[in-house]
Amino acid sequence: MCTVVPISLTVGANRIVPTVAIPYPLGNPALDPADEKELRRKLVEKALKALQTEVTEQTVFKDE
Amino acid sequence: MRLEIGNIFIKDVQFGDKTEVKSGTLFVNKDELAKIAGDDERIKSVEVFLARPGESVRIIPVKDVVEPRVKVSGDGGIFPGFMTGVDQVGSGRTHVLKGAAVVTTGKIVGFQEGIIDMKGAGAEYTPFSKTNNVVVKVEPLDDLKQHEHEVVVRLAGFRAANYLGEAGKDVKVDEEKVYETKPILEQVKEYPNLPKVVYAYMLQTQGLLHNTYYYGVDVKQIVPTFMYPTEAFDGAITSGNCVSACDKNPTYVHENSPVITDLFEQHGKTINFLGCVVTNENVTLMDKERSSNMTAKLVEFLGADAAIISEEGFGNPDADLVMNCNKIEGKGVKTCLITDEYAGQDGASQSLADSTPKGDACVTAGNANVVVTLPVMDTVIGYPEVANVIAGGWDGSLNADGSITAEIQVITGATNELGFNYLTAKTV
Repeated sequence: MCTVVPISLTVGANRIVPTVAIPYPLGNPALDPADEKELRRKLVEKALKALQTEVTEQTVFKDE
Repeated sequence: MRLEIGNIFIKDVQFGDKTEVKSGTLFVNKDELAKIAGDDERIKSVEVFLARPGESVRIIPVKDVVEPRVKVSGDGGIFPGFMTGVDQVGSGRTHVLKGAAVVTTGKIVGFQEGIIDMKGAGAEYTPFSKTNNVVVKVEPLDDLKQHEHEVVVRLAGFRAANYLGEAGKDVKVDEEKVYETKPILEQVKEYPNLPKVVYAYMLQTQGLLHNTYYYGVDVKQIVPTFMYPTEAFDGAITSGNCVSACDKNPTYVHENSPVITDLFEQHGKTINFLGCVVTNENVTLMDKERSSNMTAKLVEFLGADAAIISEEGFGNPDADLVMNCNKIEGKGVKTCLITDEYAGQDGASQSLADSTPKGDACVTAGNANVVVTLPVMDTVIGYPEVANVIAGGWDGSLNADGSITAEIQVITGATNELGFNYLTAKTV
């Protein structure tokens, strides 16, 4: 899970889940706490799904 | 846009009854300077010190370094957007107290502030050991928030520099320089047979005390834009950076922007220097993509054959550097990159966070992780204990005898990515 996807690609990560911003990858201070929790949950669920997905090459899991 | 620069060489700085320049000495009325620098209700106290080359003096933590300048003619004033309205600067005539500098210090704001030693091993790494420094120590009110503390000290430094700069307004100068960039169609015609070069000037804008300003605008909020090179010489770009001291650009470095002065040096001889694209280093991927797209578009639109791209800071801005390189090269424009390295204390690690095969012309300003010991100084202006917390230091960097062992990252300007530093390499 990372914000700067090109760096993850350069260093050779297999499964990449894009996140919010460098100072707050898994949150967003502009949201109210309930919405931010929803955002965090979605990101974690996406990462768990990515882990269970077979990949044959470097894969970025974008929003569906 | 044409700017005359008149350099007044300052060889010494002294306190005096009147702030004035006499025979190469800058005399400073200490109380008047403290009053002007401290003219902000959020400031509790201001103290003024002098630190000259070769003296056994350490300044810590250093926030910004500012060069005193004054507009003699032409629109606007030094540091537009903060001190002098927002008229376009960069034309007319500007006088510079060359050899003098204002250094701001005081209680630490962030964790990424610097050290300037005027003598010893540390002095060899910082360009500001060679300037006659007027050190302004600013303490804010106790309950001031961090970001406001940063603003208060920054503006105090600008007020101090502009106050000193005024002393050079009617002084006979020691050196004259003239810099000119014409509107693009005329500029292209002036040297039709020389390769056309644009400078992509990346500025640190990660937010949270990592900010840079253009005419007072927070650069993370701009889309990349064109700048006449001489605008920088009148303080159009100012630092608001609490970023690693070695490779942030203090305001002084923007005022003397070395890539610009070197490009001007070759202008009309080996190249045709068309101007600058000012761009940012933001914290979301979308911002990085948007800004690098816009930068490449502007470089192409200006008709460049080649572009110099300089980075400020390190880490995720390496991704901005690589995007700018790939996209500008993608327009068929040759690039040369300027960066520094974080290759570990032994120099064996990967130097940058990102990379590209297109970055095959790259200049490094040095490895910021190299460890040095800075000897004891007779006088310390500021707070030596912050050596244990600033970036490049660690718990224990301040030794019992007052010496400091830390990475050169702690030294202001040690690996400056505009080349305003002393590190060099030679083949033996």
